[in-house]
Amino acid sequence: MNKLSPADLDKMSKVTVDKPKDWIKVGLSSCGIAAGAEDVFNFFVEEVKKRNLQIEIKKCGCTGMCYAEPLVEVSVEGLPSVIYGAVNKEVAIKILEKHVISKMLVNDYIFEVLI
Amino acid sequence: MYTKVILVKDTDLKREDKTREFYTRLLDYLREANLHEQIQVVRVADIGVYDQGLVVKVLPDKVTYTNIRDEDIKRIVDAALPDGKVIEDLVFKPKAKQYRIVLRNCGKIDPESIEDYIASGGYLALKKVLEELGQQKLIDEIKISGIRGRGGAGYPTWMKWNFAREMNSAEKFVICNADEGDPGAYMDRSVLEGDPHSVIEGLIIAAFAIGASKGYFYIRAEYPLAVERIQKAIKQAYDYGLLGNNILGSSFNLDIDIRLGAGAFVCGEETALISSIEGKRGTPHPRPPYPSVKGLWGKPTVINNVETLANIPVVIAKGGKWFAQIGTQTSKGTKVFAVTGKVKNSGLVEIAMGATLREIVMDICGGTLSGKPIKAVQTGGPSGGVIPEKLLDTPVDYENLQKLGSIMGSGGMIVMDDDDCMVDIPKFYLGFCVEESCGKCAPCRIGGFQMLGYLKKISEGRGIPEDLGQLRRIAQSMQKASLCGLGQTASNPVLSTLKYFEDEYNEHILNKRCPAGKCSSLITYSIIEDKCKRCGICFTNCPVKAISGGKEEGYSIVQEKCTKCGRCFDVCKFKAINKK
Repeated sequence: MNKLSPADLDKMSKVTVDKPKDWIKVGLSSCGIAAGAEDVFNFFVEEVKKRNLQIEIKKCGCTGMCYAEPLVEVSVEGLPSVIYGAVNKEVAIKILEKHVISKMLVNDYIFEVLI
Repeated sequence: MYTKVILVKDTDLKREDKTREFYTRLLDYLREANLHEQIQVVRVADIGVYDQGLVVKVLPDKVTYTNIRDEDIKRIVDAALPDGKVIEDLVFKPKAKQYRIVLRNCGKIDPESIEDYIASGGYLALKKVLEELGQQKLIDEIKISGIRGRGGAGYPTWMKWNFAREMNSAEKFVICNADEGDPGAYMDRSVLEGDPHSVIEGLIIAAFAIGASKGYFYIRAEYPLAVERIQKAIKQAYDYGLLGNNILGSSFNLDIDIRLGAGAFVCGEETALISSIEGKRGTPHPRPPYPSVKGLWGKPTVINNVETLANIPVVIAKGGKWFAQIGTQTSKGTKVFAVTGKVKNSGLVEIAMGATLREIVMDICGGTLSGKPIKAVQTGGPSGGVIPEKLLDTPVDYENLQKLGSIMGSGGMIVMDDDDCMVDIPKFYLGFCVEESCGKCAPCRIGGFQMLGYLKKISEGRGIPEDLGQLRRIAQSMQKASLCGLGQTASNPVLSTLKYFEDEYNEHILNKRCPAGKCSSLITYSIIEDKCKRCGICFTNCPVKAISGGKEEGYSIVQEKCTKCGRCFDVCKFKAINKK
């Protein structure tokens, strides 16, 4: 890998990573992993491949809502991005089928924070 | 396709949950008004607002309305329409809100991707430091910001840096103290796991400020994931030329290594930490000389906490002045707390300094899990104190917490309700400090042990009134004569509970009673005959067979055999077990 010059750094910082694509982020810090987030992450990766969905599955750290782990943030074009909490495989299927495919938010699992 | 979303949640815990009822009503209204294809209604698990009746939140506008009645439905739907206006009399104006500086990227970026960090503005502060600021201006900027060490003591960061910078030495060191050990505190772990590059960037800037060419991460080995992510991040930084020789094309060189701590609490103290890195036994030694004068291998060394370092890139990027306008007169910026214990939403909370404890616990964390009133909040881990409910309106900053007999500490915050005993809590913390005391100095080694003995005696019902005086006397000598912070502060939990809850100590000593029902020696379980349905569930569940009798003649507890485990109390469905 090439060493960065200050100009390279400027260029890289202007890349927008999130914006153009749909994504699902799974919180994979100790608290999330302890609550089973790794299974959820792998499940998403498999299902998305199986169903051939155009959505990226990403990892992220802990947002701080440890009481509601595993946390999954979903951003799909046309819908506000929301955080689902206490996600297991059943909820993960709902997220894919309802939120990602049918473009409707899923009832009963959204956790909102005031930040 | 929906254009708007209305989230609904009933936040009144005292009544039956009305979320579903309201949800249906709102849906019906939307269907009647033929808007159900434009607006989606969603039930949520948590709406971020507590004890405000029915709450709705309109997305993507992010407007929250509270204490909604059925007659407000039309107004809310109108307001949610594209040309709708915010309903002023219903809109929620939060008293307390989180303010994220340290946790800015946690949960947003991929911690294992340096590209993600750079794309969110990472390493631009380093570039600014190298290209524009230089050492003097950098330290000036940190001085203007007023940031103080987040590890607990709150020493001004710029002063530490300046001392080390002024030292004339060919070799200097920077160390990131990631030896987080307070029970219930895990802010540093989350930052290291969620945004490792921000800490690395902070450490590089600190090294540049003092002219160090070698840095260490001192992380406890109990944090394997944090170690792994820091390791990866360091490698990525080397690959991109952000570490190593000629960083970003400048003449500045820095190497960073990781040292694992074996989990001794005392190694979070800076002189003990230095000994540990040097390969010696992790025991503290007297200061001065301070590490910024004579530290690692006798060279000037700056040791900063994870949270302090994670703040630095933002301070530089946005300027010291910007940072200084957040917080209170003496404490600038934000603080991350790990709120745990009997609280509804346990987790990390980052607030601007000056928010009150009550706002943190009630408004942000939703109050107690059981719905029982808060009895006290413990801050600062084993070095901190217990703050009673009546003082929860104190704004949080270094000085205020100290005045109350507690400390800011690294940011552990444990919420307690009526079921927590104020003799048992300090006993737990003191027990922790006795176990973790390195044993080098007598006040800590002997004093802690003696105090714990008195607390045990009191909790077992053998206390006498003179014990409280003894506790205070030993605590004072520990504070004055101990070698390091561990011993000097180990008595804080005892002193603060003695200050605010002396009556509870007296209740244990004089009446041999534990009001919270925690101290097992002082409680007895018995079966209330009138309520007992003779189901036998206590009989089958008692692990020590201390319940005798049968379905015919009824049951009773044999006190001599009872170990006071409370199992019968928990399993009885008819509340027929009396705990006294």
